[in-house]
Amino acid sequence: MEPAIQVRGLKKSYGSHMVLNGLDFQIKKGEIFALLGVNGAGKTTSLECMEGLRKYDGGTILVKGKMGIQLQSSSLPAHIKPMEAVKLFAKWNRAEVDYTMLHALGLNEMEKKQYAQLSTGQKRRLHLALALISSPEIIFLDEPTAGLDVEGRLSLHEQIRKLKSSGKTIVLASHDMAEVETLCDRIAILNHGKIAFCGTASELAEKVGKKYVIHIKTQLGDSSLETDNIEDTLISLLGNLKQKELHVLDIKVARGTLEQHFMELAGRETE
Amino acid sequence: MNGFLYGIALQWKLDIRSKSLLVACYTVPLIFFLLMGGIFTSVMPEMRSTLVQSMVVMCVSMGAFIGLPPSLAETYGNGIQKVYKANGVPIYSGLVAMFLSAFAHLMAACIVIALLAPVLFEAALPAQLPVFFLALAIYITVSLSIGSILGLLVKNQAKLTMAAQFVFLPSIMLSGIMFPIDFLPDFLETAGRMFPASWGYRLMLDHGFCLENLWYLTFVFFAAVIVCGVILKNQKLK
Repeated sequence: MEPAIQVRGLKKSYGSHMVLNGLDFQIKKGEIFALLGVNGAGKTTSLECMEGLRKYDGGTILVKGKMGIQLQSSSLPAHIKPMEAVKLFAKWNRAEVDYTMLHALGLNEMEKKQYAQLSTGQKRRLHLALALISSPEIIFLDEPTAGLDVEGRLSLHEQIRKLKSSGKTIVLASHDMAEVETLCDRIAILNHGKIAFCGTASELAEKVGKKYVIHIKTQLGDSSLETDNIEDTLISLLGNLKQKELHVLDIKVARGTLEQHFMELAGRETE
Repeated sequence: MNGFLYGIALQWKLDIRSKSLLVACYTVPLIFFLLMGGIFTSVMPEMRSTLVQSMVVMCVSMGAFIGLPPSLAETYGNGIQKVYKANGVPIYSGLVAMFLSAFAHLMAACIVIALLAPVLFEAALPAQLPVFFLALAIYITVSLSIGSILGLLVKNQAKLTMAAQFVFLPSIMLSGIMFPIDFLPDFLETAGRMFPASWGYRLMLDHGFCLENLWYLTFVFFAAVIVCGVILKNQKLK
């Protein structure tokens, strides 16, 4: 598939501190791509370089398409009403206001409030609406659900999925592993200014090697074990239990979470 | 209506909703005018001939140095301008919209003063009203340009309040609007001439509209425009 964004050899330093040390990756059209990393790994810097909001020291960035940007720390004048902000940004972008999109984001319910009176979730939805005003093909979301409650988070996830299904390319930076696992097609993990991994969540699971976790409950209690070879391990485990005349009360097989894989990879990179 | 004009109209509305600018542009200057107008004209009846000009200088100084900078600091100091930039709104748009909106509010407050002064205190209206309002527009523009520098330069609200007072108080005390400038010691008289208020006051007096009173205001305005441009350019680069 044709790339929407190509990043080659991206370098950025703040003084003597090198934050990005030659990033190489590409983002395909129509996918949800996540930049993952611990705090200070350079996620926001990478995003801002791609968005054109921050100058970089070296490398090239090619962005093919109109961009919509939701920043990590966003603010608006305290007394502005959501629709006024929407109209202001629409007029500057010479764009028509898409009332269907605004309705889907729930902007009608906050119509009469001023920005300072909005909840964190409402502010996030408003900033997402502002990012979508110019009908961008590529949407950057920096920590889009930070500070939201479960309901707000799920609602925003739904909106992001709808955007993907309408063909938008979405680039998000997050350190919420569960969010990334449920939303994203591919991820890039930033560590010490470099891409430690770029691919799908299952490719990451394969890379770190701990693919399956078996949780088993017998009359003796709970236990769990990790394995690469699920078939042989299960046959051997169940055989052993039968031999010892232990009854299986419950059994679950899970692939490790993205968080576990991330920690594993980060640990290896540090070593 | 394009984004620029909509932004100015919207800023006008936001300024009305924001109580702080309303207080600085209308409430405090008008209360000051009502109190001091009564006192001045009772104690020194000859002040009736310059009351409108004095109170207008006070009103403009308050709105430009105390009212405008906090709004600018809010926009350019806490990331609002970054959101604007990210969404295709030029970085200068906030400054221009706030400047023009504050200009309109200050002009409105000054018109109220000019209308009320003859009725309440038997003050004399300026002999040539069009020239007076031209001089007033120039003085408001210059004062707002200095207020703009303060708002763009000082991001911390506490420091901003202090910096604004360093410009506001000498403007009021040393410009000749409270008492004749000849009463001041020479060094204070010289210091007073550093501030546009004394030049603006003389420009608005009858027969005061001349190059001698205009050149300094013009110089300050263009210098302020350059300084604001440099500050905005630096912010954009960051």
